[in-house]
Amino acid sequence: MSYLEMKGITKLYANGLLANDHVDFSVEKNEIHAIIGENGAGKTTLMKILYGLEQPSAGSITLRGERVMIHSPLGANRLGIGMVHQHFKLIPDFTVAENVVLGSEPVRGGIFVDRGAANARIREVVESHGFSIDPRMPVRQLTVGQMQQVEIVKMLYRNAELLILDEPTSVLTEQEIGKLFDTLRSLQKGGRTCIIITHKLQEVLEISNRLTVMRKGAVVAVRTTADVPDRSELARLMVGRDVLYPLNRAKKACGAPVLDLKDVTLTQKGRDRPLLHDVNLTVHSCEIVGVAGVSGNGLGELEDVVSGLQRTTSGRIFHNGVDVTHLGAADLRERGMAYVPADRLHRGSSLQSSVTENMIVSNHHKFLRAGFLKRARIQEYASGLTKSFGIDGGPRVPIGTLSGGNIQKVILARELTSTANVVVVSEPTWGLDVASSQFVYEKILSMRAAGAGVLFISSALDEILGIADSIVVMYRGRIVAQLPNNQNAQNDPNVSKKFKEFIGEYMLGLRDDFAPVGSQRKDATS
Amino acid sequence: MKGKKSLGGFFASFTGLALTLILSFGLVVVLILFLSKTPGATIYAFFIGPFTNKYYFGNMLNVAVPLVFTGLGMAVAFKSSVFNLGGEGQTYAGGLAVTVVCLALPVANGILGGLLAIAAAAVLSGTIAGLSGYFKMKWNADEMISSFLVSSALMLIVNYFITGPLDDPNNNMLASLPLAKQYGMLGLFPPSKLNISAFFAIAGAVIVFLFMNRSHVGYEMRMCGLNREFARYGGINVSKYLVLPMILSGALHGIGGGLMVLGTYHVLYEGFSFGMGWNGIAVALIAKNNPLGVLPAALLFAYLDAGAKSAMLNGDVTFEIASIAQSFIFYFVTAQALYGLAHKRRRVA
Repeated sequence: MSYLEMKGITKLYANGLLANDHVDFSVEKNEIHAIIGENGAGKTTLMKILYGLEQPSAGSITLRGERVMIHSPLGANRLGIGMVHQHFKLIPDFTVAENVVLGSEPVRGGIFVDRGAANARIREVVESHGFSIDPRMPVRQLTVGQMQQVEIVKMLYRNAELLILDEPTSVLTEQEIGKLFDTLRSLQKGGRTCIIITHKLQEVLEISNRLTVMRKGAVVAVRTTADVPDRSELARLMVGRDVLYPLNRAKKACGAPVLDLKDVTLTQKGRDRPLLHDVNLTVHSCEIVGVAGVSGNGLGELEDVVSGLQRTTSGRIFHNGVDVTHLGAADLRERGMAYVPADRLHRGSSLQSSVTENMIVSNHHKFLRAGFLKRARIQEYASGLTKSFGIDGGPRVPIGTLSGGNIQKVILARELTSTANVVVVSEPTWGLDVASSQFVYEKILSMRAAGAGVLFISSALDEILGIADSIVVMYRGRIVAQLPNNQNAQNDPNVSKKFKEFIGEYMLGLRDDFAPVGSQRKDATS
Repeated sequence: MKGKKSLGGFFASFTGLALTLILSFGLVVVLILFLSKTPGATIYAFFIGPFTNKYYFGNMLNVAVPLVFTGLGMAVAFKSSVFNLGGEGQTYAGGLAVTVVCLALPVANGILGGLLAIAAAAVLSGTIAGLSGYFKMKWNADEMISSFLVSSALMLIVNYFITGPLDDPNNNMLASLPLAKQYGMLGLFPPSKLNISAFFAIAGAVIVFLFMNRSHVGYEMRMCGLNREFARYGGINVSKYLVLPMILSGALHGIGGGLMVLGTYHVLYEGFSFGMGWNGIAVALIAKNNPLGVLPAALLFAYLDAGAKSAMLNGDVTFEIASIAQSFIFYFVTAQALYGLAHKRRRVA
């Protein structure tokens, strides 16, 4: 009997997204267990269920041989389960001690918080684990690594024996990562058990004893880390080996450059590493440029910068040869930029507004008479789009009541108009079923056929290999490879597999030799 | 299935509102049973009294007029997801603007002068509220706090004018010099105080409704209110819509205050706008921020007020009973709104 066993865990969200599909997951006592997988593979959902933040639609959890029901994080704490979230949940103006005891303060005289006792207990925890934080310091003054330590101390203070860490290294520097791993090893020595969620292979191999690979809501492999022969096997398990989509990719001659990024850099206060670092890329008309990368490596930032929602720190962006670096979303749209955002529920749509109102957000000024909207014309326009894109429910219903696939169709209907000459799409099929995904690909291909240049940003490598004409790989905010898509990959599964592994190694930072355009083909196909 | 969902939502909100009203009216009945020696007569006076003669009925409608404007002001702000807690001060400032303009102008043209005075009220209060929006845009200062603080300071300034430069030496009351008769608004239901400002209120609600739901600017404002990130993505100038709704909200409050002075009091009383900001919030919440819904919501508030006055005169209870009933409705409606918000959050998360 394992220390922790999750059996048949299924999580179906109200919007129809199947995040976990009969997942069996087990952890032995005193091990460091890694869960790896791409974005949306269901890792975080599984851990949220374990921590009581989500309730499973089906399945059972057994801890230390006993069946348990976990309804809330408080319940999880009582069972000795602690979680350190990817985004810290700390109050910046409170001291370390105040943050740690928040919710379970030692009390004196029935009313007052016993600061002395709190500080003493926390100091004990801090010292016994070799942390470098002063309990009396305000959290605001700490580094990101120290904030994470506070989160860990918070859990240890609550006597957590099983610690879940969600993407703990994504915000840390190299040295901080080293320190975190030392901490995890010392916790292990102290008899505790850790689960660490990540998509960085290097780290998995370095720290874990065992690992579980998840893909598309299901467990695809469980391994003992020492038995993993090489890293590319993990990469293959993680990205999957699904057949490429048989899409009609009749290649047209590339036209003039429509979108051009020159040395685009984006930095953020408090981060020592730029989010985007000297990014150079060009999209020609009639071309789909696929940007591949594991999330957290600059894909989201690239999307924000290109769409005009985020100013670059330095570098220039050209559209049809005109410098558009300092133009906002309204001007870019006026110039013919279409943008299908990754965050389709928050950025791409206004959930309470009707489908019609969602469809006219970027072009309602074309339906004006003396400052008032021409309702009949708008209604006609929306019904037309609803029909031609096959959107269920009609133009009057709130878009939030539609399924994910239909919401994405509304966004595509709005964005992919005949006037668009550059299309930026990001994670366009995330969470969609096969039919909806296929619809998205077809629409994007039809835009290319009409002469638009497409920047196709996605953390799912499969779809990039299936649709893109050329591929750009990002790792830690830099472009680490830039190459044409391998046309043979569609016909020959062997070639496809090799090519994919080759790209995957760049995505995971296993290769850092920059592959100049054209020179990799021998390497990839031989 | 989708149709059923929204229908269910409608019934939930409708039954919620009905329940709120029943509970609040029930509370009034219970209070009267406890407090009154002649409960039957008092209950009759409370609920039926406002409809028994022209004077009560007209005054009830007249009380609703400024509530329509403060309610509209709050609805416009809420629809745009900005918060204006300075309604009381802005209403007060509207009264001041009207008084100053009417006292300063020659009285030859009453109608033009009156309209000018109302315009001045809208500009003054709109500017004051707009400042809070501007601070929010410029320095991300919370408009809720700043509008409240500015409003509180503003009331002291208006008090200074009432007891200082505008003071009526012939009158012991804390009030300004009276306005010239020419500025008075045509009465509708003599002897009640109802006057043609009631038409302003109806027109105001219709105009605000058309503006919010049919106009280009209204659409952009609503989109900013529902999802600012989406609006920015669509190319809407979102920072503009931190300021504009505040200006409109302030202007509507100013007009409400101005009409109270011009139509009802003909003089600027100290503290005449007491509670107008909060009542405006309550009216907007009951109306679910629908500009047309503000009309019945304001009438409901006015009815409670009139009922209490009638019960006080014809029965043996004090006026506070109206305040208690109003605050009850306020609590219930707020709780409902908060519940709805929490519910929505949960569904989105």
